Amino acid sequence: MGNLLKKFPIKMVGIFALIGVALMFFVSHDDFLYTQPIMQIQKVEELSKNKEIDTFQNVDHSYVQKLSGVITNGKHKGEHITLNNTYTDSKAMDKKYKVGQKAFVVLHGQGESTIRDAKRDTPVVFLIYLAIALMFIFLKMAGITAIGSIIINTILFMVALYFDGFNNGSNVLWIFSILAVLFSAITLWLVIGWNRQMFVTLASTVACTFLSIIISLIVFKFTHEKGIFYESMQYVTQPPRPLFLAETIIGSLGAVMDESTDIISSLFALKMERPEVSRKQLFLSGRNIGKSIMGPLINVLFFIFMGETLSMTLLFLKNGNSWGYSFSMNMSLGMVQSLISGIGIVLAVPVASGLTSFFAEKRRK
Amino acid sequence: MSAIIVLGLVLLVLMVLVGGKQGFQSFLSLVLNFGFLFFAIVLMAFHFPPIVVTLIAGVILLALTIFLSGTNDETSRLAFIASVLVLLALVLLIVPVEHWAQVQGFGLEDSDDLEGLSLPIGISFIDIAISTAILSTLGAIAEATMAIASGLDEIKEQHPDIKPNRLFFDGVYVGKQIIGTTLNTLFFGLFGGSLSLFVWFHGLSYSLGDILNDKVFDAEFIIILFSLIGVIITIPITSFVITEQFKNQKQTKS
Repeated sequence: MGNLLKKFPIKMVGIFALIGVALMFFVSHDDFLYTQPIMQIQKVEELSKNKEIDTFQNVDHSYVQKLSGVITNGKHKGEHITLNNTYTDSKAMDKKYKVGQKAFVVLHGQGESTIRDAKRDTPVVFLIYLAIALMFIFLKMAGITAIGSIIINTILFMVALYFDGFNNGSNVLWIFSILAVLFSAITLWLVIGWNRQMFVTLASTVACTFLSIIISLIVFKFTHEKGIFYESMQYVTQPPRPLFLAETIIGSLGAVMDESTDIISSLFALKMERPEVSRKQLFLSGRNIGKSIMGPLINVLFFIFMGETLSMTLLFLKNGNSWGYSFSMNMSLGMVQSLISGIGIVLAVPVASGLTSFFAEKRRK
Repeated sequence: MSAIIVLGLVLLVLMVLVGGKQGFQSFLSLVLNFGFLFFAIVLMAFHFPPIVVTLIAGVILLALTIFLSGTNDETSRLAFIASVLVLLALVLLIVPVEHWAQVQGFGLEDSDDLEGLSLPIGISFIDIAISTAILSTLGAIAEATMAIASGLDEIKEQHPDIKPNRLFFDGVYVGKQIIGTTLNTLFFGLFGGSLSLFVWFHGLSYSLGDILNDKVFDAEFIIILFSLIGVIITIPITSFVITEQFKNQKQTKS
């Protein structure tokens, strides 16, 4: 244990902590960057409390609080305002404000104003910074490439969104399919380098992602998409079906890439160590590696896709809907996405092993 | 037949073809995970405290995922212990940050979907947001602990007389290899899962400041960051658990 402690990078942690404190100070005082007026709350007075019972016998309380504070940015900087805020115990779309917090407000003139929403950039930046700092401390260089690929991919993603807005979503599936290929190529190039192994991994990733979509489309055709409720999709501003498929392609891409990378890099390493290994042996050990990681990987996406439906499902249940209806309207799309990406992940096992056993052969100098 | 059932059957057949018995077990873990997840939501609807329900469900879900996917029981046991430790460490981060960020419930973008629904249901949506965050990170934690545990298992098998401290740094090395691809799984999950939201932002020309303070976006982004932090701390924690166990094993032998 003493040995481990000695290697603890105390200097680096210190530097990161210092930068972190400075960054947090900046973000919590960055009001001048915003055009909407921001108010810092200086005094809170609780005015009233009312018991509320809705038609489904849910008991809640609603409160009114009087907030006084000062505007911290823009041309009204320094002005004092007072306004009322209503919140409930459940706080689904409202919140209770406390002294010291900052919030965006709308000024209507003549001293009238309403509160819009909390300013929450500080906690978000805090978490981003914490993740980056931990990555540097534990992983050094590996962390830098990983972050680099995220930044490049985010820029590409924004470009794709721009093109998508251009023709009003009619080409959404094509745009994001091309994006999926670009995403994989750039990410794998950064992680693996520009070599044969990268091309094999890329081929496997792209093939399995699209194969899983094709299989799902066939299933959709024969079941007439029974049990899939596109109308339950959230935040839809374009035709939902192609948007849903585009979401699924991008969503499952990372996991399929993950599986392919793991299998193929192990097999290339094996081939390097023992060049005499046969194609069949290579294929079989690929299958062995793949089958133990596919389960956990499918679960990663399952929990991400299903977790985000929790609030809405619960709200449906508490509004007197049946279990089946609450599931259909909220969880069925996430379930379909989990299953499609699961199919892609499983397909990656034979495809990645097969491609490697075929192409790793000609490795002579 | 509904499309979900047919897709499920396709997945089952493929998993059995590729993984045999292990493939079947992995499929079973997926089905059981769904069952427990839904059961947990129903318990919350009956006003059981959401965070307590989630913690108990979380440990069960981790156990299901790890023990049903793993091959070696000893490795799975260590991976499970490590994953529970990671879960507890993450909860200590998630609870204060969710209270700080206030991303519970629904945002303005949800207004259409909320039409006709009664919002004051007497259940704290902050607790629900914490539960969502904990549940969403489980898969990533289980995957990372298993990857490191089985990587270290290989090393232990090939070099039985390796020094325990050396084993710790090997664990970190294995972690370095998985972090890049795991990061991609998580971020593409975010890009994909929130694509329609991003299209919305673009269509209505949200500024960077708007997006950074948007409740709906922040709720999802924060969860991805929690998962990422979970995966990073998994690396030293899993390596530490396995190293300690290896030390004990050596002492009892000699």
